[in-house]
Amino acid sequence: MALIAALAFSVTAAVAGTVRSGTEPGVAVDSIVLGGTAPLTGAASRYAAVARGAWAYFQYANNRGGVYGRKIHYRYVDDGDNPAITVTATRQLIQQDKVFAIFNSPGTATNLAVRGELNGGKVPQLFVASGATTWGRDYGQYPYTSGFQPTYQAEGWVYGKYLARTASGSRVAVLFENDDYGKDLLGGLKRGLERSRVKVIAAEAYEVTSTDVASQIAKLRASGADTLVLFATPTFAIQAYQAANRIGWKPKHVVTNAAAAASASMQAASFGGRNRLVNGTISIQFLRDPTDLRSRKDPATGLYRRIMKQYAPGANADDPLYVYGMAAAWTAVEALKKAGKDLTRASLVAALDTFTAMGNPFLLPGIVVKTAGKDHDPIEQMLLRRWQNGSWKAFGGLWAYPAS
Amino acid sequence: MAAFFQQVVSGLASGSIYGALALSIVLIHRATGVINFAQGEMATFSTYIAWTLVTHHGFSYWPAFVVALVVSFLGGVGIHEAVIRPVERGPRIRVVIVTIGLLLVLNGLVTWIWSGEVRAVQSPFPARTIDVGGVAISWQDIGTIAVCLLSVLVLGAFFRCTKTGLAMRAAATNPAEARLVGVRVSRMLAVGWGLAAALGAVAGMLTAPSVFLSPNMMLTVLIYAFAAAVLGGIDSPVGAVVGGLLLGVGLNLLGTYVDFVGSDLGLPAALLVILVVLLVRPAGLFGKPRVRKV
Repeated sequence: MALIAALAFSVTAAVAGTVRSGTEPGVAVDSIVLGGTAPLTGAASRYAAVARGAWAYFQYANNRGGVYGRKIHYRYVDDGDNPAITVTATRQLIQQDKVFAIFNSPGTATNLAVRGELNGGKVPQLFVASGATTWGRDYGQYPYTSGFQPTYQAEGWVYGKYLARTASGSRVAVLFENDDYGKDLLGGLKRGLERSRVKVIAAEAYEVTSTDVASQIAKLRASGADTLVLFATPTFAIQAYQAANRIGWKPKHVVTNAAAAASASMQAASFGGRNRLVNGTISIQFLRDPTDLRSRKDPATGLYRRIMKQYAPGANADDPLYVYGMAAAWTAVEALKKAGKDLTRASLVAALDTFTAMGNPFLLPGIVVKTAGKDHDPIEQMLLRRWQNGSWKAFGGLWAYPAS
Repeated sequence: MAAFFQQVVSGLASGSIYGALALSIVLIHRATGVINFAQGEMATFSTYIAWTLVTHHGFSYWPAFVVALVVSFLGGVGIHEAVIRPVERGPRIRVVIVTIGLLLVLNGLVTWIWSGEVRAVQSPFPARTIDVGGVAISWQDIGTIAVCLLSVLVLGAFFRCTKTGLAMRAAATNPAEARLVGVRVSRMLAVGWGLAAALGAVAGMLTAPSVFLSPNMMLTVLIYAFAAAVLGGIDSPVGAVVGGLLLGVGLNLLGTYVDFVGSDLGLPAALLVILVVLLVRPAGLFGKPRVRKV
């Protein structure tokens, strides 16, 4: 089904690519061509939903007039999460397909691989789908690049602040992936715990090539910690729950990073309720959760379901990665509107330099996408949520990561 | 001390996974004389079949297990007939290259059919653990080791005591002479692929409850399984299991007590094991050194 959708869209995109205005690449009287890469194949292929969700939203927006009468043609191509392929695929999008901007490509390594070239060629790298800290932090050097989601550091910081406030005196053990992703989360956690009575007493890394994390979990337990924090990808987070449960470890608090905490992963980890450790897990959330029972009647969720039904039939609408894609696409439409009728790459980047977008129906109510001055991390607000009896329940108010 | 034994136990658990897959590598090597790089992906594929039967077709565990074994056996025979047999005559390297191609094809196919999402697989063993002096041992791990050892016994008996088993060994070691005494070599090789696929399915279903089912479940396990098979002796089923257990425990203890190894150097350590064994004792711990009469 998805394959058919992908084929269908590449046909329309190819037609659109031939209509060009004389001045700015990818902009015509009636169209804007955006490009992007995504892992349509391979181990990371579930992240293709980020691109498919965005594509579906653009179809919806196009049917409602587009941006100043221009329809958005979003052409995403496969990179298999391989940075080397990202480079050639991105080059092709720019040189042959003459896209206006690269938008919403998932992955940290893949986006780093093309950042220099895109900035050198003054091609916007709009809303990178990765929480690495570098996108916002290095805005001065790479002004054509913008992040989107909360940084991993901001996420870790919120967990730290939460534990500092509610679990004073706890001893924390952390399992983290041995790369920038895991280390950013861990760094944020430690920052959030500064000057508190909560200490990280053990941190164990695993490699992406590891077969399992049982050994690390046994070591973390031996440290005498009473709080377990998992900064991992879904497979390893699920394994960690299993390993901790097997050796009979019952930590008082468990925290799992948002990327690992999709409802499907949590359900896999809880084994139909047989793994009690999963219940009560804390994580963050900034997107609307399509599986949240309380949001069933909410108009924004209704809109999301309608768009999915119409433009991504057959796809699993419970997957929050589609919501992510729509949230990014919605914001892109706002940014393109702000960039004005005489759209250029420079006017888009200028529009994003100081940018505020409220009321994104795919983000949690109250979250504002905002950049200003030195702060170029668009989303910095999030809610905490707790996994209870088979679903996530948000609690408390919005947490805002302080601009550094 | 409890921490030390907990590491040993969790090492035995990972080791039994390496051993289970190593066993099917050894089987296919004994039965056909080649190293099958697609063994891990075949196991993953079989496990997905069992998972689909349980999740989407209302099978309970054991019927699904049996169906998956049968389908895998037929699949193994089918793979042999379709892609291995055409290249079988000629240098062995051709078959090995084809198995690498199979690895890629099967991996892609699994992702295409079942998507990359992580799936929970039911375990046939109770979810409880036994507590021995502060060390937790899970039934899943005990069960995995038991099934591995049972497979070793069954395989041993099969190769020694049955006509088919003996014929398979003959076909693998000396196809020309086996043909002369009336062994249908090609059929034996096909049966070998079928059995290895079925055994791989067992390995996959033992592995999945611990590491969870995803398209790349076996990708790194395969490397450890090779190390285990080489350590134990590439022709010895007992060696494969013992090699797997030794490797699992050894890597865990190295990672825990030797600081610079940590968890980062697991794969290099496995490679080192392969290298050292091949240099010092090429037949492995349990293999019989090959003597060539001139």
